[in-house]
Amino acid sequence: MPQQVTRLGIAFAVLAIVFVAVRQTLVPDTFGDAGHYRAAAVDSIEAQPLKYAGHEACTMCHRPIADKRSASNHSGVSCEVCHGPAAEHVAAPGNVRPRAPRERGFCPLCHGYNASRPSGFPQIDPVAHNPTVPCMTCHDPHAPEPPVIPGECRACHGQIASTKAVSHHAVLPCLTCHDAPEEHKATPRAVRPGKPSSRDFCGGCHAEGADSPPHIPGVDMATHGEDYLCWQCHYPHHPEAE
Amino acid sequence: MQGYIYPNEFELRWGLLIVLYPYLTGLVAGAFILASLARVFNVKEVEPTYRLALLTALAFLIVAPLPLVAHLGHPERSYEIFLTPNRKSAMAMFGFVYAWYLMVVLLLEIWFDYRRDLVLTAREATGPRKWFYYTLTLGATDLSDRALQFDDRVGRWITIIGIPSAFLLHGYVGFIFGSVKANPWWSSVLMPVVFLFSAIVSGIALVMIIYLVATLFRSKKVDMGCADKLASFLFYAIVVDFSLEMLDFIHRLYEAEESIEILSQLIEGRLFVSLIVLQIVLGTLVPLISLGVVSPALSKRSIARIPAEVRRLIYLGCAILVQIGIFSIRWNVVIGGQLFSKSLRGLTAYKAELLGLEGLLVAGVLLVLPFLVLGVLVKILPPWPDTELPASPEA
Repeated sequence: MPQQVTRLGIAFAVLAIVFVAVRQTLVPDTFGDAGHYRAAAVDSIEAQPLKYAGHEACTMCHRPIADKRSASNHSGVSCEVCHGPAAEHVAAPGNVRPRAPRERGFCPLCHGYNASRPSGFPQIDPVAHNPTVPCMTCHDPHAPEPPVIPGECRACHGQIASTKAVSHHAVLPCLTCHDAPEEHKATPRAVRPGKPSSRDFCGGCHAEGADSPPHIPGVDMATHGEDYLCWQCHYPHHPEAE
Repeated sequence: MQGYIYPNEFELRWGLLIVLYPYLTGLVAGAFILASLARVFNVKEVEPTYRLALLTALAFLIVAPLPLVAHLGHPERSYEIFLTPNRKSAMAMFGFVYAWYLMVVLLLEIWFDYRRDLVLTAREATGPRKWFYYTLTLGATDLSDRALQFDDRVGRWITIIGIPSAFLLHGYVGFIFGSVKANPWWSSVLMPVVFLFSAIVSGIALVMIIYLVATLFRSKKVDMGCADKLASFLFYAIVVDFSLEMLDFIHRLYEAEESIEILSQLIEGRLFVSLIVLQIVLGTLVPLISLGVVSPALSKRSIARIPAEVRRLIYLGCAILVQIGIFSIRWNVVIGGQLFSKSLRGLTAYKAELLGLEGLLVAGVLLVLPFLVLGVLVKILPPWPDTELPASPEA
């Protein structure tokens, strides 16, 4: 056998032995038992002290506030979301007090304007919206209601309003298509607005032979779009058809 | 920001360092393919660059994982990719592709090619230098004709294995991007092939730059036969690479998926300078036309008769432009793919920071580092052929 092969063989064998030895030493014993991780990590994490108490623990002592919150628009927001981990407070209520965020930067974490948030979710521009005044001055975080009920749809649905404003439907008021009870403005989640649920609604303007101006596109409602509702294919706030 | 962007898309997750990583691995694969031209395909003209190409590939391979390590953080944990391999992760398996390429292909080929020189240097040297070179020979000091023939034969076989390995090394990088199906800018089966050929282009151009500049500094005469051949191969590689890129482009246009609108906005706006100006015009068309006219790629005596000194300069200029173009390709893929929203309705912006672990400064250091490593390698393993001539006064 050529000398090169034996020497290289020795070098590679040494490397392989070192690799196996390092692997034996460094790979944790329980690695791979339950997946591509150290199975004992679950026990290590379990052994860590609890920091959150859970909203039920809060309710036991703070029932009036808890009831108020659970009936409000913040019913889905747990106490510790704003007040922080409260396990220490539950263990020693007199010694540890949970935080109560009053700075202006806190509420906009959820309520600052962001185009990707759902339309209708209350959002403000923190720079322009009553600058320097703490949010709690006007809004009660345990029962947040706007101090003034918005008069226009665009107060909450600004994104849709701006889109519609440059569309062929710009002249149509929102209430042409949506039935929005007055209560929706004060309790937007409890009372929801409706939207057209039949093809005939759009057909009122867009069916062939409908009593509408000639520049409005018309289709044969019997054959066009099978059984789909119109808004399943066309976006009514910015309809694409010319 | 422009249009609609999801909150987790404002900021790019993969920055400048991830641009650097495919750029560096591409240079490795390309330099190796150039070396294989001399070794396997018997292109005699490029032999002066054979060893230089191997050392260049090694120097860049050593530095190639550093951008990843810097990007991921925790370099002290990086070895775990080998100890507890995750066979389901393409990224994790790269560790093994890298190790295979480094240990079995490059180091072995260099060792077999240099063994004779190492033994002779160890015999002539004294003191620590002698022991250093003796260690590098691994004790295999047999210089009989039979042993040297064996070195040559094995070296050739390793190069043959090395070609698919180099394809794997860089094709894999394209594979990582090409298999992100949620991203219409990346998701393409052509991606690994385009990466591969752009790698070959960049590798040949890099070795050409290093060869021309190093020869100048060493006051030797440039082997114009070699430079002409390199320029010709660079020309052919650019033709194939550019054709593949255009094929990908036309295919996207013809397919006209729902993403086409945002992608055209991306090309016309955010990527105009890096894609149209740097990648296509300066990085591809200018070198392509210049090399086509000046080099003997299209006809034996080249279309324009230009003196060797000027030709060298044009080659050097083209090779530098090609590097800028290939870097732009990596930039356009990595950064471009993150500039548009998954909603296909908005674009974000990327601004590289100067300092910081993923900043321009670190990227600059990582770009210079392979040259320093190459300098050390060249010092230890001189790659220059014995037959070189000193530069004549008029050259």
